[in-house]
Amino acid sequence: MLLTRKATGAVAPAHSRLTHPVTSMLGRTVDRRTFLKRSGIAFGAGAVASQLPFSIVDEARAADQAPASAIEVKRTVCTHCSVGCAIDAHVQNGVWIRQEPVFDSPINLGAHCAKGASIREHGMTHDSHRLKYPMKLVGGKWQRIAWDQALNEVSQKMAQIKKESGADATFWIGSSKHNNEQSYLFRKFVSMFGTNNMDHQARICHSTTVAGVANTWGYGAMTNSYNDEQNSKCILFFGSNAAEAHPVSMLHTLHAKEKGAKVIVVDPRFTRTAAKADKYYRIRSGTDVAFLMGMLHHIFKNGWEDKAYIQARVYGMDKVREEAARWTPEECERVTGMKEAEVRDVAESLAKNRPSTIVWAMGQTQHTNGNAIVRASCIVQLALGNIGVPGGGANIYRGHDNVQGATDIGPNPDSLPGYYGVATGSWKHFAAVWGVDYEWLKAQFQTQTMMEKPGITVSRWIDAVLEKNELLDQDSNVRAVVYWGHAPNSQNRGKEMLEAMKKLDLLVVVDPYPSATAAMGAMARKENMYLLPAATQLECEGSVTASNRSLQWRERVIEPMFESRTDHMIMYQLAQKFGFAKEFVAKIKLQKGKGGMDEPSMEDTLREINRGMWTIGYTGQSPERLQAHMRNMHVFDVKTLRAKGGKDAKTGYVLDGDYYGLPWPCYGTPELKHPGSPNLYQTSRHIMDGGGNFRANFGVERDGVSLLAEDGSHSLNADITTGYPEFDHVLMKKLGWWEELTPEEQKLAEGKNWKTDLSGGIQRVVMKNHGCHPWGNAKARAMVWNFPDGVPLHREALFSPRPDLIDKYPTHADQKVRWRMPVLFKTVQDANKNAVQQYPLIMTSGRLVEYEGGGDETRSNPWLAELQQEMFVEINPKDANDRGVRNNEYVWVETPTKTKLKVKTLVTERVAPGTVFLPFHFAGWWQGQDLLNYYPEGSAPFVRGEAVNTAMTYGYDIVTMMQETKTSLCQVAKA
Amino acid sequence: MNARPIVFAACVLALAFFGGCGEKPTVTVYKQGQYQGKPDNVPWQSQPFNNDKASWETAIKARNNGQNEYLRVGTQ
Amino acid sequence: MARMKFLCDAERCIECNGCVTACKQEHEIPWGVNRRRVVTLNDGLPGEKSISVACMHCSDAPCMAVCPVDCFYKTSEGVVLHDKDLCIGCGYCFYACPFGAPQFPQDGAFGLRGKMDKCTFCAGGPEQDHSAVEFKKYGRNRLAEGKLPACAEMCSTKALLGGDGDVVADIYRTRVLTRGKGSEVWGWGTAYGKPETQQPAQPPAPKT
Repeated sequence: MLLTRKATGAVAPAHSRLTHPVTSMLGRTVDRRTFLKRSGIAFGAGAVASQLPFSIVDEARAADQAPASAIEVKRTVCTHCSVGCAIDAHVQNGVWIRQEPVFDSPINLGAHCAKGASIREHGMTHDSHRLKYPMKLVGGKWQRIAWDQALNEVSQKMAQIKKESGADATFWIGSSKHNNEQSYLFRKFVSMFGTNNMDHQARICHSTTVAGVANTWGYGAMTNSYNDEQNSKCILFFGSNAAEAHPVSMLHTLHAKEKGAKVIVVDPRFTRTAAKADKYYRIRSGTDVAFLMGMLHHIFKNGWEDKAYIQARVYGMDKVREEAARWTPEECERVTGMKEAEVRDVAESLAKNRPSTIVWAMGQTQHTNGNAIVRASCIVQLALGNIGVPGGGANIYRGHDNVQGATDIGPNPDSLPGYYGVATGSWKHFAAVWGVDYEWLKAQFQTQTMMEKPGITVSRWIDAVLEKNELLDQDSNVRAVVYWGHAPNSQNRGKEMLEAMKKLDLLVVVDPYPSATAAMGAMARKENMYLLPAATQLECEGSVTASNRSLQWRERVIEPMFESRTDHMIMYQLAQKFGFAKEFVAKIKLQKGKGGMDEPSMEDTLREINRGMWTIGYTGQSPERLQAHMRNMHVFDVKTLRAKGGKDAKTGYVLDGDYYGLPWPCYGTPELKHPGSPNLYQTSRHIMDGGGNFRANFGVERDGVSLLAEDGSHSLNADITTGYPEFDHVLMKKLGWWEELTPEEQKLAEGKNWKTDLSGGIQRVVMKNHGCHPWGNAKARAMVWNFPDGVPLHREALFSPRPDLIDKYPTHADQKVRWRMPVLFKTVQDANKNAVQQYPLIMTSGRLVEYEGGGDETRSNPWLAELQQEMFVEINPKDANDRGVRNNEYVWVETPTKTKLKVKTLVTERVAPGTVFLPFHFAGWWQGQDLLNYYPEGSAPFVRGEAVNTAMTYGYDIVTMMQETKTSLCQVAKA
Repeated sequence: MNARPIVFAACVLALAFFGGCGEKPTVTVYKQGQYQGKPDNVPWQSQPFNNDKASWETAIKARNNGQNEYLRVGTQ
Repeated sequence: MARMKFLCDAERCIECNGCVTACKQEHEIPWGVNRRRVVTLNDGLPGEKSISVACMHCSDAPCMAVCPVDCFYKTSEGVVLHDKDLCIGCGYCFYACPFGAPQFPQDGAFGLRGKMDKCTFCAGGPEQDHSAVEFKKYGRNRLAEGKLPACAEMCSTKALLGGDGDVVADIYRTRVLTRGKGSEVWGWGTAYGKPETQQPAQPPAPKT
C-alpha cells in the first residue's frame, strides 16, 4: 500500500528524480508526509524557495563587525500548545538569532515538536507574513493607515453603535493566546465598555469540560499533570491524539510506558498516538457515553469499583449504576460498534492497573452532548477511586498555550475572572479589586439585568447577527464584532459566518497575522473593516498557565516587530478613546512600552490578579515567585514537580517545597507560601502541602442525602475529620477561629467568605492553622442534577449515521433561550434523519502536528508550511474505490449544508470504511477558490486550503454552546 | 570633459591585464581516496574552548546527558 | 575519543517533525532541502513506525568511497563532512548513500543541481569556525560551541539521540532493558557495523 500524501503538480523534476531511489529503498512505503513532497515546491512557494534567507544572521553578524554586542538569553515559553515548553532565546542587538533547548525544564526537559523547534521564525523580518501596519478596507481593497486614524475610527464607530443600539450590540472575541494579564485586562476592558458579550477559544475547545467537570467535583481543569503520568500504571487516551496535538507530553507518556504502564487508545481513527499504544480499539464517532457506560457496566458487574472511595467521596453513584445496567455488552456494541471483549478489556485494564488515568481533549468535548461525555469519564474515574491520586486523575489536555489561564481569569461571557459569575456580589467584589465605584461600573452597562446576564458565545455570534431580533434575549442584534486573536475557521457553519460578516456594521481584527478573517471579510465586505497589528507573546512579558495549571513567566524576547503593539497597549489606548482609561488602570502601574507609549505593567497586573482571584488560588503566584521558578528550573523534580531545596541566587527566595509554576490553586497571599497543587483533591496530603478534597459548592444535603464527605475522609491532618461546608465569617466565628485573624484581617473579612475576603485571612487561618480546605469538604457528584441530563445519557448526534437509533437515543428538545438565543436540537435531528442516505460518510476533524489552531501563524512559518502543503481528506481504500477516486486526487467533500470543499485525498486505513477525517487548521480557500487576493499584500500564509468548518454542520452542546465538529455527515466525489 | 572616457578605458584595460594575476588554478589534480579540500580544525580549537579539549568533552558530555531523561527524572 | 553517532528510537518517534524544523531553523535551510526528515513505515496501519533519518556519519561511508573528486573527509570525532568548494554536484554520493542523506539545492535560474548539501552533525565545515562563510555554506558549528545537533537536542520524545556513540548506546541500552524490546534498531548495522577501531562499544560477553 503506497500511502503517498501528495507531492503537488509543481514538484521540481530534478528533486523528484533524486529522491526516487530513497523511496524505493524504504520498501515503497512512504508516509503521508512523505519527504517527496518536501522536495517539491508548491503553492507559490516557488517564490520563496531557495531564496529563504540567511538574512537575519547576516544582519546580526554585519552588526557585530562593529564592536560585538553581547548575546542576551531570554527565557520564554512556547506559544503553540498547553504543554508549556521552555525556550532560551538568544538575542543580539535586538535580533532573535538562536534558540536553545532548556534541559532544566521539568515540563519539557529541552524537548520540542515541529512548532516549538521552529518558533524562532517569529523573529525573522525578511519575507515575514505578519500583519505589519494598521489597515482599512476601502472599496473592497486593503489600504494602509496610521495607528491614530485606526484607533480613532474604530473607537468612534464602536461608540456610535453603543449609543444607537447599546453595548450589547457589540461582540468581542478575545484570545487564549493572550497571557494571563492580557486575558484578565480584556475581561475588564469589555466589562468597562459595558457588555458581557465576549468569549474566547475555550468555548469551542473545552467549555464542556470546564462546566461538566467543575459541576462534578469543584474545578473544571486537568486534575493532575503531564508529568504525573509517569506515576500511572494504565493510561487511556479517549478523545485525544496527543502525539499530534501535544507531542511533548508524549515524552512523559512514553517514559511511563517504558516503565511498564499500559497505554490504550480508543478513537474512531488509528491516530499516531494509537500507533504508540499497547492497544487500539476503534469506536464509532459520537458514541462516547455509550462506551463509557459500557465500561461502567463491566466495572459494576465484576465488582471492580472502589466501594470505600465511592461511599466516602461520591454522591449519586447508585443512579449511575442504574443507567450502566442498561448498557449491556450487546447494546454497547450495537451503538458503538465495539465488541464486548474490547470494552471489557479497557475496563479491566483501568481497574486492575491502578492508579490509572483517562486523557481527553476535543474528541470528548466537541459534541452536542459533550457535557455528558466528560462527566461520564469523570464517573469512570470516580468509580475506580482514581481521582485525587498521583498517577490517576482526569488528564484533560487543553489546547492553546494559555487557554487554561484565559478560561480561569479571562474573557468569559458568563463569569468574571476566577469563575466569579456575573451576579451582583461578584461585580461588587471586582469593583473593589479594580478600585472603581460599583455604581459607575453598573452605569457602563445598558441595565443591571444585562450586566448580570451571561453574554453571547463565540460559537453563536453569527446567529446573534442573523437571528430574528424578537427571538434574541437582548435588545439589538449584534452589529459589530472584534476578532482579537482568534481565527474564524475554528467555528463551524462557515457559510453562514460569511453571511453574518456581510451583515455587520463593523468588523475589526486585532492580531499578529491578518488571519482568515481578513480574507473572508474582504470577500464579504467593501467598507468598515479594520486590521490592527498586535504583538505576539514573544514580544511581551507575562505569565502563562499550562494545562497542568502551572504558571510560567515569559520574558520579552524582542520588541514588537513592524508597527505592531502589545495587546495591553492597544486595550489601554482604546480605553483612552472610550474615556475609561483611568478606571482601567486604577490600581495598575503604567510603564513605557514601544515608542515610549504607556501600557499597563504586566507584573503589576499580575499583582492585581493576586489580590482578587481567591476562588481558584491565583493569589499566591506573585511575579517574584514565578520568576524565581523560571530561573531555577533544575531544582524541580520531574515526577512530582516539587522543588528539592534551592535558593534563588537573585532574590534569596527559598524554593524548597514549591511545586513547579505554583499550579493553581495556590491559595492565600504570596507571603503564606502555599506551594501550589500538583494533583487536585488529593487527600493524602496536607492542604498546605498541595493536598485537598472535593468542593462543597452545591449545598450540604439533597433530598435528605448528605453531600458532604463521610467521616474520616479529609485532607491529611485536617482539624475537621469529616465533611464540612465552605468557610465564611459566620462559620469561622462558630468554630471560634475568628479570633485567629489579625484585627486588620477581621476588618476586611467581616461579612465575607473565603472567596470574597480580600485580606486572605480566612484562607490563612483555615489552611495554615487548621489544615482545612477553605471551600469545604464534600462529595463529588456522579449525578449533576442541575444539568439537563443529571446522569450522562447517550444521545445520537444531530446528523446521525444511524437513523435507527434516533428514536431510542434522541437529542434534546429545542431550547428557546440559551446564552441569549434559541438553539435547535430535535428539529435539526428530525429534518436530517435521512441525510445519511445522501451523505453516507461520517465526517470528523482534528489536528496536525505542524500547525496550531486556525493555523494562520503556523502556515506563515516556512519551516512548518513546507511540511504540510495541502488540505486533505483521509478516506478508507474501500470508500475511495467505491467512488472511483485514487490517492492524491482532488475531490469534493459535501455536507448536508450543501457546502463543498475541494481537497486532496489521502487514501488510508487510518480511518475505517464509512468515516472520513479532515484536519482543521487550513483556511484561505473558499469552496474551491483561492482567496489569495483577499489578503493584504504579502501577508497571506504560505499554505492555504479549504477550512473544514466552512462545511461543518449545525450543532451545540446544551449547557455550554460547544459546537459539534467531531460527528457529522458528508459525501465525497471526484472533482 | 573628454579625459574621463580615456581614464575609464585605461582602467578597464589595466583590470583586464592585471586581473589574470589574481587567478587561482581551477583544476585540481585528484588523488583517488584522498581528501582534496581545505583543512578543518578540531571543534575545541576555537572559541570558546581555545584548545582545552577536556572542557570541551565535559560540555559535550553534559549536553549528551540532556538527551537522557532517565537522569533528569531520577530513580525516585 | 568521542565518536559521534545518531540513533533513532522507533519505539519513541511520534513523527512530530521537531527534528526537521530544528535543523531547518538552526541552519536556515532553504525550502526543498532536507538534511533531516522523518520516514514512516506502515503509515496508518497497526505496526506503524517512524524514524528520523539524516546522514548517519557512517564508519565506512559509501559517499566517501564513490566521490569522484574526493571532497569528503572525516573528522576525528567520526563526523563525515565535505568541502563544497570542491563538490561538483554530480550526485554519485546520493546514489551510494543508503539513507538518502545528500541533498541538492536548486542552483541558478534554470534549477540546475547545485553543490551537495547534507547533515553536518552540526559541525560546520572546512572554514573558520563560527564565521559567516562557514554558516552560509555548512550551517552552524554547534560542536565547536560544545553543543550537540539541534535535532537530537530538541527531539520531542527524546527518540532521536545524537552524540558520543558510547553515551548514545548507554542511553539506548537503558531503555531497551527497561522496556525489554527494541534492540533490533534500524540502521544500526549499516552505521555501526564496521567500526574503524577494533574496540566495539560493548565487548561481547565471555563464553562460559
